[in-house]
Amino acid sequence: MSYQFKWSVLWSGQSGYWLLQGLITTLELSALAWLLAVALGILSGALRTVPFRPLRAAATFYVEFFRNVPLLVWMFFWYFGVPPLLPRGVQDWLFDHGAEFWAGMFALGVYHGARMSEVIRSGIQSIPRTQFEASVAMGLSVWQAYRLVILPIALRLIVPPITNESLNLLKNSSVALTISVAELTFQTRQIETYTARAIEALTAGTLIYLVLCVSIAWVMSSLERRYAIPGLIARVGGAG
Amino acid sequence: MKRGFVVLQVLALLLSPLGPVFAQSQTLDKIKESGVLTIGTRTGSPPFAYINKNNEWVGFSIDLVELLVIPSISKEVGKPIKLTKKESTPPTRIPLLNSNSVDLIAGTMTDTPERRQSVDFSLTFFLTGAQFLVKKGSPIHGINDIAGKRIATQQGSTNAKIIREKVPNAQLREFPDQPAAFQALLQGQVDAYTNDGIQLYGLKAKAPNPTDWEVVGDFFSEEPYGMAMRKGDAKFKQTVDAGLKQGFESGKYFEIYDKWFGPKGELPYPMSPQVKAYLLKQIGK
Amino acid sequence: MAAAIEFRQVNKWFGKLHVLVDVTLGVAPGEVVVVCGPSGSGKSTLIRCVNALERIQSGEIVVLGDSITSPRMNLTRLRTQVGMVFQSFNLFPHMTALENIMLAPMKVRNAPREDAEKTARALLLRVGIPDKAGNYPANLSGGQQQRVAIARALAMQPKIMLFDEPTSALDPEMINEVLEVMTDLAKSGMTMMVVTHEMGFARRVAHRVIFMDGGQVIEEADPETFFASPKSDRSRQFLSKILSH
Ligand SMILES: Nc1ncnc2c1ncn2[C@@H]1O[C@H](COP(=O)(O)OP(=O)(O)OP(=O)(O)O)[C@@H](O)[C@H]1O
Ligand SMILES: [Mg+2]
Repeated sequence: MSYQFKWSVLWSGQSGYWLLQGLITTLELSALAWLLAVALGILSGALRTVPFRPLRAAATFYVEFFRNVPLLVWMFFWYFGVPPLLPRGVQDWLFDHGAEFWAGMFALGVYHGARMSEVIRSGIQSIPRTQFEASVAMGLSVWQAYRLVILPIALRLIVPPITNESLNLLKNSSVALTISVAELTFQTRQIETYTARAIEALTAGTLIYLVLCVSIAWVMSSLERRYAIPGLIARVGGAG
Repeated sequence: MKRGFVVLQVLALLLSPLGPVFAQSQTLDKIKESGVLTIGTRTGSPPFAYINKNNEWVGFSIDLVELLVIPSISKEVGKPIKLTKKESTPPTRIPLLNSNSVDLIAGTMTDTPERRQSVDFSLTFFLTGAQFLVKKGSPIHGINDIAGKRIATQQGSTNAKIIREKVPNAQLREFPDQPAAFQALLQGQVDAYTNDGIQLYGLKAKAPNPTDWEVVGDFFSEEPYGMAMRKGDAKFKQTVDAGLKQGFESGKYFEIYDKWFGPKGELPYPMSPQVKAYLLKQIGK
Repeated sequence: MAAAIEFRQVNKWFGKLHVLVDVTLGVAPGEVVVVCGPSGSGKSTLIRCVNALERIQSGEIVVLGDSITSPRMNLTRLRTQVGMVFQSFNLFPHMTALENIMLAPMKVRNAPREDAEKTARALLLRVGIPDKAGNYPANLSGGQQQRVAIARALAMQPKIMLFDEPTSALDPEMINEVLEVMTDLAKSGMTMMVVTHEMGFARRVAHRVIFMDGGQVIEEADPETFFASPKSDRSRQFLSKILSH
């Protein structure tokens, strides 16, 4: 018995609208989580290399704690574990205003921040220590040395592994469906439930993720070219 | 020459599209020959079919087969019949049936029009339907009270679909699995959780404080459970239905129901007048 | 006249390794001191103490009248007064030559961009490569890079310049262009501490040569005396090795 494809299920009824809703939610969720992850990643990645032990220890704790617990657990943590710490009124307001979205965003951002931290740390550590010494020797503060010299070089070196991590983040955003965030994978499942057309729905979802990933990779590689340091070809190995 | 003729005749019979017409009921013939009825059922769906603390494979659905269906088959084939149970799950149950590994599915299978395209169903032997689990004292008493409220559903259920159509401004929160949805209700992320009533009673029983929660509302969708058989064996279906019908008429069915779902049963699930009327209507009462 | 740099009984350890042993030493304003000695003798460590890239465990170092080993020392002030040039150039690869030179004046002194740029161009002219302002480090030769590095250190108008083997990483044909810039600088009256194996430079430019071994200052003399009649065995040995090729 051969399977009869019926692609029209993807645009008939509400399917198209759902896919679009799912896509928008996935993009919003991933973009906000990405910003959080990059900020946390840069901060903690840089702190892990500074010449001040308590800061290094704090950053190491953050990284090891968050990246070694599965993302699914963090989703439940932010959705079920955190709200009870807030006053009842605040909780209710949150539950009415997309608590699941924000929980998913924090889970994704904090988890991937810990993973990006490792990438950024390895980028910083691939820069010869003498660059840092040259910076402070001319009077820059440690903070200025990082901001003006170390990070701008490190960030350029780590574009490929960061791209990799960003794609992981995008794909991992689908875990948020476990706490009822109606993102793209959720919506393709929904279409499957309503139309009993598993293959069509799955194909649509897969294609959209593929297009998103390819676009991100393309944007990142043009960024890489745009900001390439003339003559510098050193690369930092990717982490996971 | 003579033997060759017989072979040809047999071949013709086998190949003939009219073949099945001669066999009255392949399933009944098979049971008569082996003396065994093989059912596919669940191992972890209390109280319908499960393995209990004493390691016995028991349950409401199994009792119905043993006490109502088997006697009917015995009578039909004219000899005592033994029961054999095999494990079946939602993805395996239809293939098991079609490969003749089992003759009857008796577990928690809902009778739906889609499924009727590939199997036959017996009379409905259990009826549940979508209701709401809420905190005691909640303003939600049924589907008419959920506008603007946060309602958890299980992803992929028809309940979400119905709510979306009937109460578009309810805030649906769809969870892929029941424990997460229930947790969301316990913590107040949602105001109610909707699922089949029987599931909700099960959850309520497992809640830290069962009396804090109640199941409310009329069924806003119906989930009739039936026993499934290979498609097209009318005689076998008649025999199974006759057993169930006999059970409804004699009251034996309600005794069995009470054993499992009564106040002292495995899972108390009072039968509403709505449900009782539905079941009896099947036999014209 | 007060010394520009003064080491008093300085001791430094790296773990168990005693790298500076009771070093006492003074450098006068405008003086050019060449530090030499075998590898691992503590030369780099010595000059890196002057701008506090290394911390010492005992003793005192006074730079331009301020004790830099006191806890209240102002690091930024110290480092803007002391320029440093490294063996490996250490230009920032993501900035042009001009931007490398402008960075510290703009970020540490908050100099307006136009002023910083004017100074930077003047410095590039001074080190002989005014046409390389827009080049990134990767597009400069080693000698050019080191000259930009000197210009960068000079941009903060330091009173003291430290050089740690500034020509060791260079191809021979580029060594002279860097030494010339350093010679001009010495002639302009800059106080300089130079770790180098360029004995020709030491002979011509230095006012004093310091010979170190095992973390100790073994010998201090004017270049003529040092090269003509080294006092210790170790310095004789060292010189014979260095001058033999
Ligand atoms: N950061 C450090 N940690 C531990 N040991 C160090 C460190 N820096 C230098 N040392 C050690 O201290 C000693 C002196 O080092 P220093 O770099 O001052 O020597 P140097 O005279 O400059 O040698 P070279 O001519 O090879 O540059 C060496 O044995 C070196 O291995
Ligand atoms: Mg050295």
